[in-house]
Amino acid sequence: MANLLWLQGGACSGNTMSFLNAEEPSACDLVTDFGINVLWHPSLGMELGDNLQQMLKDCISGSIKLDIFVFEGTVVNAPNGTGEWNRFAGRPMKEWVRELSNVADIVVAIGDCATWGGIPATAPNPSDSEGLQFLKRDHGGFLGKDFKAKIGLPVINIPGCPAHPDWVTQILVAVATGHAGDLAIDEFQRPKTFFQSFTQTGCTRNMHFAYKVSATEFGQRRGCLFYDLGCRGPMTHSPCNRILWNRQSSKTRAGMPCLGCTEPEFPFFDLAPGTVFKTQTVMGVPKDLPAGVDKKGYIKLTAAAKTAAPAWAEEDIFTV
Amino acid sequence: MTDSSIKTSQAANDESLRDQLRALLKDGLETEVEPRAYTHEQVLDIVARLQQLEESNLEEKLKTAGFTLTPYRHEDDEQACETCMYYQLHRKFCELPELMLPAEPQWSCRLWRI
Repeated sequence: MANLLWLQGGACSGNTMSFLNAEEPSACDLVTDFGINVLWHPSLGMELGDNLQQMLKDCISGSIKLDIFVFEGTVVNAPNGTGEWNRFAGRPMKEWVRELSNVADIVVAIGDCATWGGIPATAPNPSDSEGLQFLKRDHGGFLGKDFKAKIGLPVINIPGCPAHPDWVTQILVAVATGHAGDLAIDEFQRPKTFFQSFTQTGCTRNMHFAYKVSATEFGQRRGCLFYDLGCRGPMTHSPCNRILWNRQSSKTRAGMPCLGCTEPEFPFFDLAPGTVFKTQTVMGVPKDLPAGVDKKGYIKLTAAAKTAAPAWAEEDIFTV
Repeated sequence: MTDSSIKTSQAANDESLRDQLRALLKDGLETEVEPRAYTHEQVLDIVARLQQLEESNLEEKLKTAGFTLTPYRHEDDEQACETCMYYQLHRKFCELPELMLPAEPQWSCRLWRI
């Protein structure tokens, strides 16, 4: 039996909503099949008031063993570093987070806000928010770059806005069943099993990407969303087109550009007007190129592919 | 109508319109070839101007977008319609929603993007 505690900081509850929709395994499966004991969760916890406060204190003192500490949302430091803007169970949330992280065997950050600050940490970051071990791309965050949970692992980051339900439950099962050490993580402490490939991997528009045929409107079935509509699929690490959402689809499959929400810089360009859903270009070339591609190579490849594109690539082949 | 007859009719319309555009450019229509839309703000500005135009106002569309009959050159790059993201090579058609014009592969405009 692994004790799991889930708290929320500066959050919209989106990751909780996502988690509750998990299917493989489901949130219930975690309890019934994988021996996870949910000590408390903002939407599921039974304890209130003094009882909850006492449970948190018992976790910190060690009288309740804390195996997995899950945090959703940012660590709020405002005002003036006190964290008073986000109080919970009688004190600033950040104080609970610090003490619980120090006693937990494993700490898991769920969603962009907990991993790197996400939307709340976007400039000018009025709540002085940060992620558990990152602030955007900067390693450190609230717990500091040298933080390691009791079993010796740094915070395991499962980003996304929200994170896909199955990324959450599959990682929780892995750590609850003693396989945390088997998780290969990348430089941003994301499990590689989910975040090594690109959002583009498995996208149904890949042939349009290859032949450089652009979609010019949302919802169009023909055309790639990267060239004009700001899709970040070729440079975003996520399995959104391998592990589908609701087992059905993904943003790009539905004609909606990837926003790059699993990357530390999300939301990109600090949401400046005109930067969302529009590919930013410099002298006609996208500012952000597919991962690993340089500008010269991109221009050569694109020109060649465009002129070699077959006629069908310009047509809508997905007839209903 | 079958797909092929629709395509034939569309091709004929495109060809006729393309001829009109070619004639306008050959007759010396002065277009805004420069400044090129090299920044995001410039792109937005030109697109906003195009959005104000009547769909049938071909002359102003050509002027505002800065069309030329030959590719614009910048350093080593040639900015021809045929390599532009908005261009359908087989139909020979610019699909930028604000333009939607038949164009030759070797034409060029300042909204070129690759």
